[in-house]
Amino acid sequence: MRELSGQNSRESPERLVSRLVAQLSHQVLWDSLLCFFPPLLVFIYMAGYLYHGAWVGPLAALLVTLVSIGIGILVVTLRYRPLVPSVAKASRLVDEHAGAKDRFLTLATIDPSRWPAGLVARLRAETASFLDRIELRRDFPYQVKNSFYASLIGSVLALLLFHLLLPVAHSTLTSLPAPQRLREVAEKMAVRPRLLEIARSLQTLAAKLEDPRVVHEERQALIEETQKKVGEQQKKEAQKDDRDLLGQAASTLKNLEQQSGAGQDQQKNNEKGGGGMQSNLPQEGQGKGKPSPGGGGEQKGEMSAQLSKDMQQGKTAHSDPKEQSGEKNSQKQGDGKSNQPDPNRPDPNKPGMEKGKDSAGKTQGGGDDKGGRGKTSEEIPQGTPPADRFHQAGEQGREGIKGARYVTVQLPEEVAAETKGEKGGNKDTKGNRVGSKVPVSNVPLPAHVPDAPTETQHMPLEYRGIIR
Amino acid sequence: MEPENFQELFHRLEREVSKVIVGHDDVIRKVLIAFFAGGHVLLEGVPGLGKTLLVKSLSQVLGMSFKRIQFTPDLMPSDIVGTQVLAESDGRREFQFKKGPIFAHVVLADEINRATPKTQSAVLEAMEEKQVTVFGESYALESPFMVLATQNPIELEGTYPLPEAQLDRFFFKLLVTPPSPVELKEILQRTTGAESAGVSSILSDDDNRLIGGMKQLLRQVLIAPPIEDYVVRLIYATQPSSSNGSLAESPVKQYLRFGSSPRGAQSVILGAKGNALAEGRVHVSYEDVEKVVYPALRHRIILNFQAEAENVNADQILGALVKQVPRT
Repeated sequence: MRELSGQNSRESPERLVSRLVAQLSHQVLWDSLLCFFPPLLVFIYMAGYLYHGAWVGPLAALLVTLVSIGIGILVVTLRYRPLVPSVAKASRLVDEHAGAKDRFLTLATIDPSRWPAGLVARLRAETASFLDRIELRRDFPYQVKNSFYASLIGSVLALLLFHLLLPVAHSTLTSLPAPQRLREVAEKMAVRPRLLEIARSLQTLAAKLEDPRVVHEERQALIEETQKKVGEQQKKEAQKDDRDLLGQAASTLKNLEQQSGAGQDQQKNNEKGGGGMQSNLPQEGQGKGKPSPGGGGEQKGEMSAQLSKDMQQGKTAHSDPKEQSGEKNSQKQGDGKSNQPDPNRPDPNKPGMEKGKDSAGKTQGGGDDKGGRGKTSEEIPQGTPPADRFHQAGEQGREGIKGARYVTVQLPEEVAAETKGEKGGNKDTKGNRVGSKVPVSNVPLPAHVPDAPTETQHMPLEYRGIIR
Repeated sequence: MEPENFQELFHRLEREVSKVIVGHDDVIRKVLIAFFAGGHVLLEGVPGLGKTLLVKSLSQVLGMSFKRIQFTPDLMPSDIVGTQVLAESDGRREFQFKKGPIFAHVVLADEINRATPKTQSAVLEAMEEKQVTVFGESYALESPFMVLATQNPIELEGTYPLPEAQLDRFFFKLLVTPPSPVELKEILQRTTGAESAGVSSILSDDDNRLIGGMKQLLRQVLIAPPIEDYVVRLIYATQPSSSNGSLAESPVKQYLRFGSSPRGAQSVILGAKGNALAEGRVHVSYEDVEKVVYPALRHRIILNFQAEAENVNADQILGALVKQVPRT
């Protein structure tokens, strides 16, 4: 310290100010570097991560890294240059520390040739006496600025956000058609000899997926087979790059499998319907249900047509919850069910609500019936199968008892379980029967006998004396 | 002239004047600074605060000739500068110039705002040119020449306030404030006792060269360019039309009609140099500048009606300016 003080006293004040300027410049440079180093590192890390995750190619990763470094250098330079302390600023700092009343400032900034040499020499001598009060390292130590901490925190947050948003970006990007995704992965794998076989399998699978002639079962089998291959290769791979690629392929295949399974369920649902109603009443088989002016009659008609087609094929619609949900999904996706007006809400476009209500009343299950139950008309069929024509009313025919006016309602199992024992069923607020609470009635109606005596009604006792 | 000699002499003058003037140390210092800077001073204060005594004492300690002119409304310019009179010498009659009271080293223009503008301008011309012209003939004034004018801030009826252009010719405007209780007690002890204090002359008529040397030294005092820049910023900031965005909300925009002239900047720099020398330094510091900003600029900035209505004075505005204008 004593040595330093001695050194200071031998040093001219101007030299001290110059040294301080250099020291402060270095400090500013460090500040600028520290401020922009964390974000730069984060950018490089992101580029590397995306490259390793096969999101971007090596060229893009290199480009991003180089651009980040370039921008970093530019920003550091732009920030550094205006912050480099001037001689005046540095000398003012020395003055403040030494209590020199602007002596350093004056000495460091004046042009000595313009001023009387005697006064300049006197000022220099005065200023030199303050040199012992200044020790640059002690008085102007480097301290990490808050900007660095802010930058560090910001960078860490950006990194966390990157990792949080990456899956979102991944899911967004993987919303491409599955074959295309598979091809992309296959192309990346193709450059790696060990994954060449898998790449071919993926290409094949992609081609099969796009081929409309390939049946669903075959696709499913192919997906499972490729998945198995990928899984086995994944276990074998030691390199991270390859594992990442395989992981992508596995993920795509898994998604594909799920989609395929869902598609199959949907198809089944479309075939089976959820729940159902079987009527012994002969159907036209054309699917043209009577359009209900009250509530999306056309679509209901279509469903009815589907049902009747199944029935004609001898299929009995049954319902399980999964299928029902699948059916709902399929309805949401494809059949425009969402466009159906709410039957409970008056529709201004309807020609008449009353008519709709009547129609709903005539239908088993009511107008609120949704889903696959459809609507079955009680009108007398226009035509009967030829074989039944010869049966008498009440005789057992192919389609059941001829002339028997009953319907067989088969509810989904869970609904049936719920409604078990509830004879009356539930009613909604408008008094209509709720579809899911329709009572099961398999009791055959009495056969219609044309000559049977009509039922007579006894005269009430209180009127007998009067009328007689 | 060495700076040490300047400081010693300066302090001797201060101490000598302080023998008769109790308090007002700052006023005494500023008057001496103005004297060595070659400027004139306007003293403002209510009657009875010792303004005239201060000027008289100062001229005595400086060993300079002193004249007092009591300004009244009927005072004529010739009463100040002098006039040609017909005189007879050696049997010949000729006009001779009879010098007025302006021909002195130290002139006290007492209650200068009571004279008519015509008379005021005669004095003020002499202040600036340091010469007078009578009947086409110019006469140089004494050197050193200093006018110390006083004016009363109250009793403004029947007065002629000095125009701004003429106020600008005063180096400093000093406010003579009433004494504090302690100072008042000291005044009473000095003036009501058996012995009355007097001042003795520190300099004499022969010391003109010495005074000249001191004046020259004052101008040689070192000033750093950043401090000059600071003064420039201060002066520029007094301009209401300046495009300084940071001062947009300052009192300058609100209360000032006109800012300081370049003479104000000259006064600030020279005053700061004088202050530095008085403190034994050969360089100007920021503090020197801030000490002399008020006396150098308070009469050079012109307040608007709003400032007068809200009773805002020039010192308040300058204080706000000094706070707002950055040193670097």
